[in-house]
Amino acid sequence: MEYGSIERELHIDASPEVVFEVVSRPEHIRDWWSAETEFEPVGGVTSSLTWTDKDTGRVECSPFTVVDVDPPRLFSFRWTYGEGETAAPGNSLLVTFELVPTGEGTTLRFRETGYRERGWEAAALEACYNDHTQGWDFYLPRLADNARRLAAAR
Amino acid sequence: MSSAVDDDLWSAIGDPTRRRMLDLLLADGAGTATTLSARLPVTRQAVTKHLVVLDRAGLVRSAPAGREKRYHVDEAQLARAVAQLNSVGAMWDARLRRIKNLAEAIERAKNNKK
Repeated sequence: MEYGSIERELHIDASPEVVFEVVSRPEHIRDWWSAETEFEPVGGVTSSLTWTDKDTGRVECSPFTVVDVDPPRLFSFRWTYGEGETAAPGNSLLVTFELVPTGEGTTLRFRETGYRERGWEAAALEACYNDHTQGWDFYLPRLADNARRLAAAR
Repeated sequence: MSSAVDDDLWSAIGDPTRRRMLDLLLADGAGTATTLSARLPVTRQAVTKHLVVLDRAGLVRSAPAGREKRYHVDEAQLARAVAQLNSVGAMWDARLRRIKNLAEAIERAKNNKK
């Protein structure tokens, strides 16, 4: 029985270049993760992810380290390790987005590993973000607006 | 489901040795500190301590067996722990849906401009 990782695969009707931008750029991460962040997409770069609950003002924070960047094929990062620690296997969760051109679109392979090594406390921490995970319905209109604005600015 | 109980549950299952013990108990149906320590690179005393943690989290149940206790996995409680990890998966499902919609909206907007 394996419950040490989460894996997903989905098809996206957009080119790998577009999908790569969405998964790796801070301005898009803000939209799909509701997290404020700022970083250069370069391996080894460290930053943070910050979530603010608009109702209570409560702030959640996680360090963030870029691991691999290979546009438009691969983007990976580590998160949920202690402040002041260096991200490494055993103290953090590793998120990997792998992009494979498929027809006109992209197959996105998502993987989050490290639960087994890190201990499930990390998952509990992640679960507490759930309280702040705003509804799909609320975010979707905003997302579509942002996407139109971004595309228009190209 | 109180958060205190959940903390116990998560930290009980967060340890690799304890997860290995759960795997062995599931495979064998039941076991004692002696039988488990024979199959793990840790002492019987260490196994006993881990069993106490698992018992406190409700992940195992015990019955007297001679001078020892015989343990088996509480599958309902284990299922609960697994369900918690699944809920983490559900959060990623929502994020991935947003990634998909965002990327597709950008792609459509690009194509409309051509």
